[in-house]
Amino acid sequence: MKSEILYPGAFPMARVELGSGEQIKAESGAMVACSPTIDIESKMEGGFLGALSRKFLTGEKFFFQTLKATRGAGEVLLAPTVPGEIVVLELDGVNEYMVQKDGFLAGADGITIDSQMQSMSRGLLGGEGFFILKMSGKGMLLLNSFGAVHKIELKPGQEYIVDNSHLVAWSTTTSYNIEKATSGWVASFTSGEGFVCRFRGPGLVYIQSRNPGGFGAWVRQFIPVTE
Amino acid sequence: MNELHPNALCFGDEFPASGAPCLVHVEGQGMTITFLSDHEGGESRSEFVEFSQLNISAGGLDHNQLVAAWVGPAGQRMLYLKSPELIRAFRHTAPSQLSQPLEQAAEQVRQVRHRHRMVWGLVSGTVLAMVLGLWFGSDLLVELAVDRIPVEWEQKLGESTYREFLAGQSVTKDGPAVSAVTEMTQRLASQVPNNPYRFEVTVVKSDVVNAFALPGGYIVVFTGLMKKADSPDEVAGVLAHELNHVLQRHGLERIIKQLGFVAVVSIALGNPPGLGGIMKQLGIELMTLKFGRAQETEADMTGLQLLYRAKINPDGMITFFQRLAEKDEGRVEWFSTHPMSSARADRLKAQLAEMPKQNIEPFSFEWSKVQGALGSSLGSAP
Ligand SMILES: [Zn+2]
Repeated sequence: MKSEILYPGAFPMARVELGSGEQIKAESGAMVACSPTIDIESKMEGGFLGALSRKFLTGEKFFFQTLKATRGAGEVLLAPTVPGEIVVLELDGVNEYMVQKDGFLAGADGITIDSQMQSMSRGLLGGEGFFILKMSGKGMLLLNSFGAVHKIELKPGQEYIVDNSHLVAWSTTTSYNIEKATSGWVASFTSGEGFVCRFRGPGLVYIQSRNPGGFGAWVRQFIPVTE
Repeated sequence: MNELHPNALCFGDEFPASGAPCLVHVEGQGMTITFLSDHEGGESRSEFVEFSQLNISAGGLDHNQLVAAWVGPAGQRMLYLKSPELIRAFRHTAPSQLSQPLEQAAEQVRQVRHRHRMVWGLVSGTVLAMVLGLWFGSDLLVELAVDRIPVEWEQKLGESTYREFLAGQSVTKDGPAVSAVTEMTQRLASQVPNNPYRFEVTVVKSDVVNAFALPGGYIVVFTGLMKKADSPDEVAGVLAHELNHVLQRHGLERIIKQLGFVAVVSIALGNPPGLGGIMKQLGIELMTLKFGRAQETEADMTGLQLLYRAKINPDGMITFFQRLAEKDEGRVEWFSTHPMSSARADRLKAQLAEMPKQNIEPFSFEWSKVQGALGSSLGSAP
């Protein structure tokens, strides 16, 4: 399995070459085009209940698609829904990542995807919802962002503060606390942007240069209100 | 090649920030750490750390990883272990005071988990109470739930039942009866503002005097009903009523009351093994669905208005209901799900009286020819 990012920048597309018999899991709707040797099948990762809970609790698509090179080698073109970068991570069986719900684009067959329940406070304040996806296993993982992806490398003990709506993925060797950015809880709740995550290394944190919620709010002001 | 499977990540100045994958082995006096080479075929190298050099703590996102820190010849090193076997091996072999911080951390994790469970339990309890509240009655909650269900799901739900039902019936594919019913439906549907449904009507050859609409806009009319009608307005009256069961999403409201929100969602979203049974059960429910009195009244009233807007004579609806109810109520299947009452007729008449006179536009077909094409009675003579 080989991957290549075409048109890097705001509107990239990932090309994944599959050897005969190889398969890849992709976010449903991510498939743009593929060779005729590829079969597409919708699969519910983590069983029916797992898929159902993911649908309801993370708002994540119910199905992942499995793209399999059943009838010989071929290639698949994948693209995310939102404009933004695609990054490729290589999982080696020991490193694991937490990924916020919209960040997953595709993963090799050896990647295991779990929905994990967060603590109430992280879920309420963290901005990524009560469930996030945990990626483990071995193989290639494609993530997508809204805007550009920026990688933050944290040495052991090193800290960094990230606005929660800009998070894409972070390694499980990091730890974080949710803090309020502005003084006063009322201001934090009403402004809606008062919460930040204080990450502590070692590990990697991937952030996106645009905030989907903020963009949505910006677009909404141009939409005429109908009753 | 005998590939090494890394079981830990090592952090240090010369390693990448994501950590270097390595293989840790716990022995009598310490641990051997073997680093895999970056490139294929390269040498792997190992180093040995004594337990006495280590500083142990718990770390990582969930504080469930064993973190071993020490200062080696290459500077500050930090090892993250999360494999349960490895942590067990460490606790067995290492001096007990070393694993003490680990035990404390584990205890803390247990406490935090317990607290999370309590909080989540409380939340799920509340949610459950709300679901139960929904189950036992409050129509407001049912409506709220119905609003959350996209039309496409409703269509999937209705379509499978529709197809399954039609498979066992003798369907009239074309001819005057089909064109007539299609024309009626189109005229009615064109008067619905922002109609999200694409209505599909099928004429089934059967003496059953009935017609029904499944959620999502799938309508079945039996030839028996068409034979009983003196004018197309009468059939259009029944269609207008059934169409409004769809438009007001009455089927969905009933199903949600009976099966609950989650069941509807799970059926609409896929058909994994085991759901086939529910599906079958639901199919039966859908076709024998008895709507509530409020829903029937709503379908009557909105049906009447729809006929009016479509410039179809609304008298047909009332006369048809009344005539059939008087003559042979027991043999008209439609009445088993739509009991006729004087109150029902009175309500319709009162509503009609309030509406200003409307110019009636005739249909493009001749009703006598449509009826003539229905063929002779299949069952026992009336
Ligand atoms: Zn009815």
